Amino acid sequence: MDLLLALIIIAGLYMAWNIGANDAANSMATSYGSKALTLKQIVIIASILEFCGAVFFGKNVTHTIAKGIVPIDLLNEHLVVIGALAALLSAGFWITLATYYQLPISTSHSIVGAMLGFGLAAVSQNYLKLSDIHWDVMGKIVLSWIISPIFGAILAFFIFTLIRMFILARFDIDKVEHVFKYLQIGTACYMAFAHGSNDVANATGPIAAALGYMGQQMPVWIILLIGGLGISVGIATWGYRVIEMVGTRITELTPTRGFSAEFSTATTVLLASYFGMPISTTHTLVGSVIGVGLAGGLASVNLKIVRKIIASWLLTVPVAAGLAIALYTVMVVFL
Amino acid sequence: MKFIRSVTEVFGYSPFGALKQHAELCGKAIGLLQKQFEAYRRGEFDKVEKFRDEIDELEYKADLIKEEIRTNLTRSLLLPVDRHDLLHFLEVQDGIINYCEHVGHMVTFRRVKAPENIWREFEILLAKIMETVNKYEELVDHISRLIASSFTKREVEDAMFHVKEVEELEHECDLIQIGLYNLLFNAEGMDPLDIHLMVTWVSHLGEIANYTARAADRFRIMVLGRG
Repeated sequence: MDLLLALIIIAGLYMAWNIGANDAANSMATSYGSKALTLKQIVIIASILEFCGAVFFGKNVTHTIAKGIVPIDLLNEHLVVIGALAALLSAGFWITLATYYQLPISTSHSIVGAMLGFGLAAVSQNYLKLSDIHWDVMGKIVLSWIISPIFGAILAFFIFTLIRMFILARFDIDKVEHVFKYLQIGTACYMAFAHGSNDVANATGPIAAALGYMGQQMPVWIILLIGGLGISVGIATWGYRVIEMVGTRITELTPTRGFSAEFSTATTVLLASYFGMPISTTHTLVGSVIGVGLAGGLASVNLKIVRKIIASWLLTVPVAAGLAIALYTVMVVFL
Repeated sequence: MKFIRSVTEVFGYSPFGALKQHAELCGKAIGLLQKQFEAYRRGEFDKVEKFRDEIDELEYKADLIKEEIRTNLTRSLLLPVDRHDLLHFLEVQDGIINYCEHVGHMVTFRRVKAPENIWREFEILLAKIMETVNKYEELVDHISRLIASSFTKREVEDAMFHVKEVEELEHECDLIQIGLYNLLFNAEGMDPLDIHLMVTWVSHLGEIANYTARAADRFRIMVLGRG
């Protein structure tokens, strides 16, 4: 049993590391691209803010992933531990595979799919009834996946339109961009915080299911601490390379545009965290960038990515769920 | 780099840099045309042919840029201007350099003899066309500021002022053309074939100015047609 718990923490840390390594770049890369901050400064600031977001605001989403989808109170501790491990391993595997093939998948969608898979596997073994799964919560989560990019787009459209009408139209463009270069550091930090608050749950949700809410009673804040640390380590060990790469490629997102997109994304994500909805920060950011584009702020936005994102939704949930079902079934037999 | 998920894919192909390059090639081609006429007047016909080849090369480069834009400008791109307006604008701008190429070739067909005053008028016409196209290049340069400001009223007004300037210069080109037709059709003692060829030069040079003004107009339609 202790071995299983240790494995869960390791798998959770891998998940958190992955989130820090890859997705944290989305929030701070613009500040690297605009040369407002050095890479070292970005790594330090992003690590701290992702960590703070995770520890102080990560509870609600963690709760949803841990017990919102699968009614873990109806299962015995052993099954929950195995289920959580199966979910973490399958989501982690899928994320690694999809990243290798450059698919714009979401870690949140993967873990939700994987937890659902765990629940369905428990149903297939008659530990749960199909109606025990919290389909209402699942429905809300899927709805939040659709709403969040759209909400980000609408917010970004309005913010950029306001900047355009009241600032760009009145002052010299170069000076405005220069000022926004520094204002944008604020929105980048805001986004790092929001990202930490939502995505940490992808790692800590299953850990909390196994360790926090069941017999072990590890306090949730300690679990969040572990998740936050994992993300920060991810940024420091791999994320900085992603920030460098993304930062040099998204110079299209000039400070005024970056400000609009980041503010909208962060607000949307933080709201989702408040409501305990595990959404995709990346997809919300894509929505926000499209919003800026719709407001006439960008030279060219590739709308093909929308199709790709929808495809990744349709792919991620069944794949992650299927993997989790397989892993869980095997593990229940042998462990 | 593998093992990276990122949002960079959301940024699509931007045709605006290429549009500017294409306009610059038009300007260069007319510069060469001016030199070609000077060489012709001095009787340096080997140079005339060399300039023709250089203009051909520029036209070829412009065609490549045109193809690049047309290939990449798919309907899945969200642009700040209408896609069709942009493609139409490009097509007309391409006409400028096409006519440069035509003239570059026609000059090499025959060694005409004409009085000095006619040559002087050609020089004036070419200088005016050069001025028109230079002004036009400045107009196209507006595109980056228009995008940076996301088409604020002030930037749009600045650009529209430039459109008018191009159109006025084109009108001046017309007047010089009319003068040249008059001179040519009333030239005493010139070989009728020489007159015929020179008249064709004038018409085709006029087309360069026409296409420049039309492209400026398409630019206006593209910029004002947003939203």
